[in-house]
Amino acid sequence: MKMADGTTILRRNRPGTKGKDFCRWPDEPFEEMDSTLAVQQYIQQLIRKDPANIELILRIPENHDEGVWKYEHLRQFCMELNGLAVRLQGECHPETCSQMTATEQWIFLCAAHKTPKECPAIDYTRHTLDGAACLLNSNKYFPSRVSIRESSVSKLGSVCRRVYRIFSHAYFHHRQIFDEFENETFLCKRFTQFVTKYNLMFKDNLIVPILDEDAAPGESEA
Amino acid sequence: MEETTSLNQNGGQMGPQTTQTAANNKQNEEPQQKNHYSIPGILHFIQHEWARFELERSQWEVDRAELQARIAFLQGERKGQENLKNDLVRRIKMLEYALKQERAKFHKLKYGTELQQGDMKPPVFDESSDSQLDQDQSYVAVTNSTWKQGRQLLRQYLQEIGYTDRIVDVRSTRVRALLGLNNNNADQEENLNGGPVNGNESNKRVSESQGRRTPAKKSQPNSLTEAMMLDTEAAVIANLSFLSNTDVDMDDDEDMSDDGDLDPNVEMEDEVKQGKKEGEDVDALALEVFNELNRLSETEKKQEIKNVVPPEWDKITSQGPKRALGFGDEDNIDATLGLGELAQLTVNNDAENTYDLASSKESFRKTWNAKYTLRSHFDGVRALAFHPTEPVLITASEDHTLKLWNLQKTVPAKKSASLDVEPLYTFRSHTSPVLSLAISGTGEHCYSGDLDGVISCWNVPNSNIDPYDLFEPDVLNINLCGHSDAVWCLSVLYSKQLLVSSSADGTVKLWSPHSKVQLLNTFSSEQDGIPSSVDFVRDEPNRVVASFASSNCVIFDTETSKPVLRLESTSQDGVNLNAKKIYKIVCHPTLPLTITAHEDRHIRFWDNNSGKMVHSMVAHLDAVTSLAVDPNGLYLLSGSHDCSIRLWHLDNKTCVQEITAHRKKFDESILDVAFHPSRPYIASAGADGLAKVFV
Repeated sequence: MKMADGTTILRRNRPGTKGKDFCRWPDEPFEEMDSTLAVQQYIQQLIRKDPANIELILRIPENHDEGVWKYEHLRQFCMELNGLAVRLQGECHPETCSQMTATEQWIFLCAAHKTPKECPAIDYTRHTLDGAACLLNSNKYFPSRVSIRESSVSKLGSVCRRVYRIFSHAYFHHRQIFDEFENETFLCKRFTQFVTKYNLMFKDNLIVPILDEDAAPGESEA
Repeated sequence: MEETTSLNQNGGQMGPQTTQTAANNKQNEEPQQKNHYSIPGILHFIQHEWARFELERSQWEVDRAELQARIAFLQGERKGQENLKNDLVRRIKMLEYALKQERAKFHKLKYGTELQQGDMKPPVFDESSDSQLDQDQSYVAVTNSTWKQGRQLLRQYLQEIGYTDRIVDVRSTRVRALLGLNNNNADQEENLNGGPVNGNESNKRVSESQGRRTPAKKSQPNSLTEAMMLDTEAAVIANLSFLSNTDVDMDDDEDMSDDGDLDPNVEMEDEVKQGKKEGEDVDALALEVFNELNRLSETEKKQEIKNVVPPEWDKITSQGPKRALGFGDEDNIDATLGLGELAQLTVNNDAENTYDLASSKESFRKTWNAKYTLRSHFDGVRALAFHPTEPVLITASEDHTLKLWNLQKTVPAKKSASLDVEPLYTFRSHTSPVLSLAISGTGEHCYSGDLDGVISCWNVPNSNIDPYDLFEPDVLNINLCGHSDAVWCLSVLYSKQLLVSSSADGTVKLWSPHSKVQLLNTFSSEQDGIPSSVDFVRDEPNRVVASFASSNCVIFDTETSKPVLRLESTSQDGVNLNAKKIYKIVCHPTLPLTITAHEDRHIRFWDNNSGKMVHSMVAHLDAVTSLAVDPNGLYLLSGSHDCSIRLWHLDNKTCVQEITAHRKKFDESILDVAFHPSRPYIASAGADGLAKVFV
């Protein structure tokens, strides 16, 4: 990592670093990342470089464990969804969105409680993200970030299903927030391609019409 | 006579006198047949009776022998227990003595006078109960050869003891069971079932008993017996392993291989021993103590502390070998002798989790152990802060969130001593990585600064809330706006509810977050560039000290906002100032002392009055990123990108403990460390997204 080409590159954010220089360091090739967090580093590096290049972001490095790849991507999605949740906090109130809905077809019950509850949309969002954070950081299911048991990989699907509802709620009820957020992060598009590519959700459940607009090639590739 | 006796014994045949012996045969019919006395009949009767008595006598003999064996066995057991007890008492006394010496030393250091304690004499031990063991005077197990002698003796004992065969049988059955070749013979089965004790215990007891018993007959070949003996010995040693040193085990193996006629079963000996060790319910603490003693003793030897031990100790040395078997190796004795000097050794003994057993009560030599792992952040944890009184902390992460943790609400983790804690509350409002965090003196509020320059003030939720409660928008109190770039450091002044922040926009700002006019003052230093870290000067609360990109620090007066003093790095050592970048600045809680953490692996100490550097030390293997001083001002905690945190004694600037705590993400590892203001907790935050709490 250091002394890559005779000069020392220390990829550090020192106190006093300006916002624009945060994490602005030369890219590190994935093969040279030797830490246990290499996949996370790599994914974040790609996103930082160009969040719109979804195809590259989702392209799994050769010979890499797919479980870990999916896991780290899902972590990143949940982390970035926090940005959408913060925006929703300002607009999505329990008085206006007393239930978690997307289309009128379903009311989603919050699975964070002992008995699933009809939480207001904003609470559903928070609880789902908190629950996902707990599950994805659980020492029981995901004790390691370099290898993941098959039984734990199966948990990723349900996390995907739940967090997707945040996108769908935002899309159908807070369209302006959704669009602003999406234009900045391309998160929903990335997420949709991600779950499609790795078969983590049924196509029927992907109700936000995001791929149909301009990402058809991405889908066909997947 | 002899002939008939033998005949009788051989089958009760009556011989030639058949006519009347039919009657005599049944003893209860004798009275009715008194009339028909005849010489041959009488003779036969007498012979018969004699034979019967002989038979009974021999039976009684057998019973007696058995009972005697039992008595001897129980005596031996008692003896073993006594030896054990004596030894433990001896150890307790030694520990007491060591503690006294320690106290005296501490007292002397602290007050400069000798502490008057009751009796400062080293304990002298009563060895009378061991005198029965004097018969093995030759057993002075100081060297390898004597150890072997001891083994020989042990073997002799085992052979002398009447129960030997039983043990051997029990053991052989066990070995067979272990090997899965249970082609047992009936004898062994019987012996096994008839044995009053299980093999494990009996080994231990037998090893310590010394009864003179006639060995019972054995049908097994000699070599097997020999093998079993070795086996038993091994088990005995395994049982007593907590008293002996690891070298001994090695010796065992050598010894074993020295013995020519070994049965293949012996090869299983190691496994058996392992099994024993696991099964043996030796007090784990005792084990630790002895291991530690052994380790210490090795250091001791080098220092030749033996020379300075008081004469009483020598006496003990000479008596030592007379203790129970297995006690007699040199290292153990040395270790016990060395206890008095334990303190000197442990001060420099880094990263040992068990060394403070002799002084666990004394907080000044506390060892910190990882207890809680806080995992819930998706990205590096940039900052953490403890609640002033509760066992509660808040972490701030690059994943844009803060999380509230209550250390008393834990989820026990599998197969590790550490506990998992789940966050109680997630603070969401930042839209960029959160870099800095501080908690108010009451614990009601916390302040967090992010990469966009926003400082958020939060009302800290109750530490017992349900993590999945309803959203309360009033948790976010206000945002302090004023900085235009990343807020890298926040610090609060408990007494005045003031907050100071340093930002990449080049300014340091003083805030009063809960009053009408929030921004009180702004400080900057043109010549020094961007501030990296800031703290209140604790002994002069109207001053703040900030570190700058220039590697200099400036103390500002909060009222005039003018620089009062500069703490300047001299460039005489020719080091590129860039390499000396300051990551963190903290002030001592009571002394006019400022401490800085540098990229060049150094921690530097500055005098706030003179502005001079008073001490500089290489503290880590990589950049020092974080500092914290304990509330009493005795210890300094530092974290580094070398993945470790270190605890320093501020008096003599020595490292007391090092803990490897976090993993690297890119070239960053540990991003913050903290002391709890009122409870014995320390914590570290890492780029790996974890926070750890040590107790």
